[in-house]
Amino acid sequence: MNEQKPGFAVSSFALLVIAFLQVPVIVVVLAGFSETSYLTIPPQGLTLRWFGEVLTDPTYLSAIRISLILAVSATLASMVLGVAAAYAIHKKMLPGSDAITSFLMAPLVVPSVVVGVALLQYFTLIGWRGSFLALILAHTIITVPYIVRSVLASLSGIDPSLEEAARVLGANGPSAFRLVTLPLIKPGLVAGALFAFVTSMENVPVTIFLASARQTTLPILIFSSVEMGVDPSVAAVSTLLIVATAVVLLLAERWAGFHKFV
Amino acid sequence: MNSARTGLLLIAPLAIVLVGAFLVSVLLLAPTSFREYLPGTGIVPDSWTLENYLRIATDDFYREVVWRTLALGLGVTAACLMLGYPVAYLIVRGDPRWRLPLTLLVIFPLMLNLVVRSFGWIALLTNRGLVNNLLMSLGIIDEPLKLMFNLTGVMIGMVHIYLPFMVLMLVAALQNVPRDVEAAAATLGSGRMHVFTAVTLPLTAPGIIAGSILVFVLSISALVTPRMLGGPTYQVMATLIYDEYMQLLDWSSGSALSFTLVAIAVAIIWLSNRAAKRWAGLA
Amino acid sequence: MSRLVLEHVEKRYGTVPVVKDVSLTIEEGEFVSLLGPSGCGKTTILRMVAGLVEPSAGSIRIGEKDVTNLPPNKRQIGLVFQSYALFPHLTVFENVAFGLRRQGESGNGFSARVREALALVRLADYGERYPRQLSGGQQQRVAMARAIAPRPRVLLFDEPLSNLDAKLRDEMQIELKRLQAELAITTLFVTHDQSEALSLSDRVCVMHDGIIQQYAPPEDIYHRPATAFVASFIGKPNRLSGTVAGNGADGRIDCGQGLTIRAAAVAARAGSAVDVFIRQEAIRLSTTPEAADNALAGTVAMRSFSGAHVQYVVRLPNGTELVVETPSSGPASDLAPGSAIHLLVSAADVFALPAAGRAS
Repeated sequence: MNEQKPGFAVSSFALLVIAFLQVPVIVVVLAGFSETSYLTIPPQGLTLRWFGEVLTDPTYLSAIRISLILAVSATLASMVLGVAAAYAIHKKMLPGSDAITSFLMAPLVVPSVVVGVALLQYFTLIGWRGSFLALILAHTIITVPYIVRSVLASLSGIDPSLEEAARVLGANGPSAFRLVTLPLIKPGLVAGALFAFVTSMENVPVTIFLASARQTTLPILIFSSVEMGVDPSVAAVSTLLIVATAVVLLLAERWAGFHKFV
Repeated sequence: MNSARTGLLLIAPLAIVLVGAFLVSVLLLAPTSFREYLPGTGIVPDSWTLENYLRIATDDFYREVVWRTLALGLGVTAACLMLGYPVAYLIVRGDPRWRLPLTLLVIFPLMLNLVVRSFGWIALLTNRGLVNNLLMSLGIIDEPLKLMFNLTGVMIGMVHIYLPFMVLMLVAALQNVPRDVEAAAATLGSGRMHVFTAVTLPLTAPGIIAGSILVFVLSISALVTPRMLGGPTYQVMATLIYDEYMQLLDWSSGSALSFTLVAIAVAIIWLSNRAAKRWAGLA
Repeated sequence: MSRLVLEHVEKRYGTVPVVKDVSLTIEEGEFVSLLGPSGCGKTTILRMVAGLVEPSAGSIRIGEKDVTNLPPNKRQIGLVFQSYALFPHLTVFENVAFGLRRQGESGNGFSARVREALALVRLADYGERYPRQLSGGQQQRVAMARAIAPRPRVLLFDEPLSNLDAKLRDEMQIELKRLQAELAITTLFVTHDQSEALSLSDRVCVMHDGIIQQYAPPEDIYHRPATAFVASFIGKPNRLSGTVAGNGADGRIDCGQGLTIRAAAVAARAGSAVDVFIRQEAIRLSTTPEAADNALAGTVAMRSFSGAHVQYVVRLPNGTELVVETPSSGPASDLAPGSAIHLLVSAADVFALPAAGRAS
């Protein structure tokens, strides 16, 4: 047997690296349950106090609420805009599909911090600064490439004669899309939407320039409160985010085979 | 069958949003970057100066920040490549039963909030953090090591953040290497190491290049991790842009720096796409 | 069930013509094959009939209705795709029900019609399965059931058997013929396989380079090819080049170096160049000289056995080589290379046609 397989040394090293990837996650969770504000191993005393504090603190609750509303709105807007555009690109309805695709992906190429300052100046200029709709618009711009990308990937895997078959069987254009194409791109769309949602949920570089004090999102709140040092309530709210992420990831994996679309 | 009109109707909403908000706003940074800024007064209207760009090229502080950003990007990219290749190799070539769990363990940190991950590193690396506590209670050190607010901390944090991207790109590249080609090399007398260096590595070069571009561009643009783990003094381009906009209110200088960052990112992507095409032509 | 009429239909992509001035009528209940090599425009014609491709010129009528500008969903046609195009996210039942639902059908009569269509292709018990759980042949039958369930006025097939292996293809061919006879739906069947076209069709339309070469019943296509292309494309012909000898009235063709061949009819002027086609299976072998329209002496150069038949390469005195196919159970089936042999060909089996339009 001379098959190319990772040897013991390579495997062990790789597993160590994968463990390294989980280290901060474990630390945050431990800190969230720790009684002391600094960390030791093993943790000295376990408590749920910090979780209670977070879940009754209006600042945290408001930040969580703002983050969720923002992420859901931006993801929905991105899905509608992105699916329509990706479909038109895939069907080559317009000349220059490649150029159009590159342009739709541009928000990924321009550094987020630059998108942030550009939008700050622009919204200030046209008087939208501090508007929540403007914030949703900004998040739509940074999330839409993920939808376009995953929907394009899904569409390219569909036999074009499926939609033709639906047309011949009496479906008009929109119902052929709704009855055949949409169900078939659903896994890709779910994966793209999840990625868009997560991108919006964790965004700091754009949000921090645009959000007013009343629009503080969860990541902004954590980002600014760590200046005060390691606070167990930050660890607790982070632990909640970790659990939510893990649950969503596992559901998405089971439902849509998420890892194929990342 | 008016497909061009339908296409226009389908693309128009997104195109309007991207042109009207994204493209216009980025382009509007350009005039600002050529305006003069007077501390205390603000931007001088209708002024025109190259000062903001010249300063980036000549001023020692700016030059250091730019070089640091690029060096950090290179370091993070190299580290991600070294750490990521074995992981990708294990995922693709290891026991198929472990493939999905390992992939999910790589994706999980990627999906996890950036701020939370950086916060985790703070908890580990501060003076009273886990690492220092552990080392001191074991009696290895007496004084806490300085692991944060310097290159070490930012490097560790950024490698952790961008490693999953690299791994996923390399997994995709490795999956595209036909096993038959490796088997052919083996039947022609190559040892395992030679099969790897002579066949596998060159065939995954496009993935290595793509992953490296991605990680490099992401790390030179990073704001959150450098700020959280580097603190207010260890500046990179993104944190400096943030400070110039939000603390110093010097938007002229900030937009010049922004354009410089965009220019570097676009140049890197363009150059490496060319390199990748040349590679692909050879392979 | 209606007549399908194409009048002066053309299709150009940019300036490249794919279908050139095609006029074709398929009578009610008739089974017509469009036969030709790939790239001859046959699939484009089918897609124009289905409404999936817009003609550059000309008109298409189904029954009395001009459908040229109708979208596919308004044409009431059934189409069986080469890839089957079964909806992978729907069960077999729902696939077959798709067209009926689009017609606004529901209720008892509706599921009865779906089951009837499934029974017709002998898949009555497979309604709850998904396409990926079926074999290639079963998927093919679901595709047919789906196409016929809404009772289309015209049924179209786009190389439906080309993805099946040889044995299954023969079975499906019989099934298809049975089904079409039972339903008597006007059918247009696109294929590049001549035996499929000849055995299934009432009439065959042979196409080449976007032009109809011959539109006739299978027997005529086989025995009376109208153009050199048809003669070269159908069967397994030997091709010789020659010139029309004498005044052309007696059908003699000079094939050079003393070889003269007689055809029953010559569709060319005296002295003009012609292609002469003689099918491998139309040549009779004899070990002794016999009288025939064409009696040629030669020697066996090569023999190959393929089960039901034996093929010989026979070299004529002038150096020309002809391939001859003979039943492996018949006489002259076991000749060694080097044997002297006589070739007997009836003049009616020699096609002399103006040299043009070669098969690719």
